[in-house]
Amino acid sequence: MRDKATTLYIGPQHPGITGNMMVKVQVEGDTIIKARTEVGYLHRAFEKLQERRNWLQSFTLLCRFCVPEPDPVEESYARAVEMLEGREVPERAKYIRVLMLELARMGSYLLWYGGQNGSLGLYTMGQWSVGDRNYILDLFEELTGGRIYHMYIWPGGVRRDLPEGFTDKVLRTMDYFEKRLKDYDDLMFTNTIFQKRTQGVGVISKEKAVEWGVVGPVLRGCGIKSDIRIDDPYEIYDQLDFEVPTAEGGDIWARALVRRAEIRQSIRIIRQVIEKMPSGEIYNKIPNPLKWALPKGDAYARTEATRGEIGMYIVSDGTVNPRRTHLRGAAYVHGVSLLEDLLVGENVADISAIMNSLGTCPPEIER
Amino acid sequence: MKELKENIIQRLKTNFADAVAGSEFSYNRVDVHVKKETIPSILFYLKEEMGYVHLSHISCVDWLEEGEFELVFIVWSPVDKVKVFVKTRLDRENPVLENIDMIWRQANTYEREFREMFGIQFTGLVAPDEFILEDWQGPPPFRRDFDTAEYAKKTFWNRPGREDAQDVRETISGRDGEEIPDFAKKYSR
Amino acid sequence: MVNDKHSQKIVDFIQNWSRKHSIWVLAYGTGCGAIEIPPTMTSRYDAERLGVRGAATPRQADVLMITGYLTVKTLKRVIRVYEQMQDPKYVIGFGSCTINGGMYYDSYNTINVLDKYLPVDVYINGCMPRPEAVLSGFAQLQKRIAEGRADGATQYKENLEWYRANQKRIIPNWVMPEYNW
Repeated sequence: MRDKATTLYIGPQHPGITGNMMVKVQVEGDTIIKARTEVGYLHRAFEKLQERRNWLQSFTLLCRFCVPEPDPVEESYARAVEMLEGREVPERAKYIRVLMLELARMGSYLLWYGGQNGSLGLYTMGQWSVGDRNYILDLFEELTGGRIYHMYIWPGGVRRDLPEGFTDKVLRTMDYFEKRLKDYDDLMFTNTIFQKRTQGVGVISKEKAVEWGVVGPVLRGCGIKSDIRIDDPYEIYDQLDFEVPTAEGGDIWARALVRRAEIRQSIRIIRQVIEKMPSGEIYNKIPNPLKWALPKGDAYARTEATRGEIGMYIVSDGTVNPRRTHLRGAAYVHGVSLLEDLLVGENVADISAIMNSLGTCPPEIER
Repeated sequence: MKELKENIIQRLKTNFADAVAGSEFSYNRVDVHVKKETIPSILFYLKEEMGYVHLSHISCVDWLEEGEFELVFIVWSPVDKVKVFVKTRLDRENPVLENIDMIWRQANTYEREFREMFGIQFTGLVAPDEFILEDWQGPPPFRRDFDTAEYAKKTFWNRPGREDAQDVRETISGRDGEEIPDFAKKYSR
Repeated sequence: MVNDKHSQKIVDFIQNWSRKHSIWVLAYGTGCGAIEIPPTMTSRYDAERLGVRGAATPRQADVLMITGYLTVKTLKRVIRVYEQMQDPKYVIGFGSCTINGGMYYDSYNTINVLDKYLPVDVYINGCMPRPEAVLSGFAQLQKRIAEGRADGATQYKENLEWYRANQKRIIPNWVMPEYNW
């Protein structure tokens, strides 16, 4: 017997939703027959506001684009500005940037560990990983002065040099995480509940992934090896030795396996960066920011974040203010049209798990 | 790399009569300017024939002084490892472009945003009217002639002392028995 | 209720004392401040030792935390959520954006002063406030509850017309039910 279709509003106030957005679903029984996302609860019009700020003032806005991992956005913007201006970055600054980006990647994945398990009702993982994430935030705090918002990567290099003994602290933290990640495996990947709830749920086929423009760990979870750090290398990623993990299946389980492997690769990259880091300048000085006009033109820089490809398109008309800045967020692709399509045929109870596995980050969608 | 880029330009020029190469050649990118009627066919050609399978970004720039919108489609090929920037100009008075979401599905989201934020109409776009804004009554807000600061001043209250942060200092001093600390006095204007 | 003035005082004291040790926060991340809530709730800072914990629905919650900027679209939902909450209820304004608009003071889509639309009991300043600041804000709220000074909800009821006028000024399409407490 088939029930009549019912409309459910999941969000914006809902404990399972990843941020402030809404998914309106029509269900028969508890199978979704139609889904529609509604965003716009976090629209602050950053790109409009940046027209009123100068090139450097934009940085205070930039890191608010996506809160769990603000550094790739800063990196994209800084690199786009450098491309437009033709500004060189000192070698040491590039290493510090990569160190920063990889630490941010680890922090974001640790938050994801908590979110993904929390969405399935396994709350212990969140207590562990979000608690452990504080160790990474402590490093950020020592380096930049802020736990969440750093404004550390800027055009021409980074804002200040590493404090004394900082690299030792990073290495100690990495030692801790190498031990600790084994506990996570025991709690998460060997857990029958987690296996049963994720295998075969939210499946994206290879063809669909290409057609819908899927990026990042979600694409790698479909078995396609694609990573901007390898394909379109920036900073010093082409000199580092690391692997791009992939998994077959395209379900939540495969995406979880990719993320599990990637956090280990991040540790590997951080160790290499610290080992190879040269000494020298960290900052190619920019002129007076109030009078700093960029040449006419446009530039587009892409960075691999935990959710996928983050791009920043900037246009200058030769004045001290940007003509246009436009962020390309990974969640912009994953969180709206793909999610709507993916939810059809799934269970209501899996909405939260699917959203978490796609890395849906609403502030990135509406900005 | 330079040969590859010139090859791409040449191939596009022979297939599309109105394609004009842009001046930008640095950072593994190629710029192509086309008329707006050519957009769906050139993007389809890039995707199906030349292997530019990944639509990285679509952006819209408002050139108020010239009375035009510029749309930029950035596509990427994992084989060539080159970004192609396909650019077109639309008349600002009556901006209409053909819908391309059958080539790349994610274009649908971009088009919904541009319709709302810039007032660009896409023929054949099937999507709900509202995307980000709700009950918006003003002009499309991302157009450059819309003054956001003026609108915010008119619509939302500003707390008195917003300019010099005087209210913060008064709050600090007004708390039970607390005084303004010396370091804060130093910054008083 | 008790008629005797002195007995009332004792009842109030016990009531406020028990209320202050069980603050359930509604799980509604209205803005980017929501990122510091998980660290506050989890092992290192562990807000639960103060009696602070999450609640899934408005009707079980005591505290509405406005974590950061509020867009006009969210404000509509927040008002609805606030009016669904049951007494006693408190509002915490979290971050600079709720106090005076913060860095979004010139944005066309975010409100600047939260206490024109909702009665705020405690503000936590900073962008982003650290978990310690959040805990301090909760401690401040507890102090105010114990002293019987956290009366935002009463003020909202008494000055409903003023709040409604402010809210309707920026929300053009008002299709919400009017609650009758």
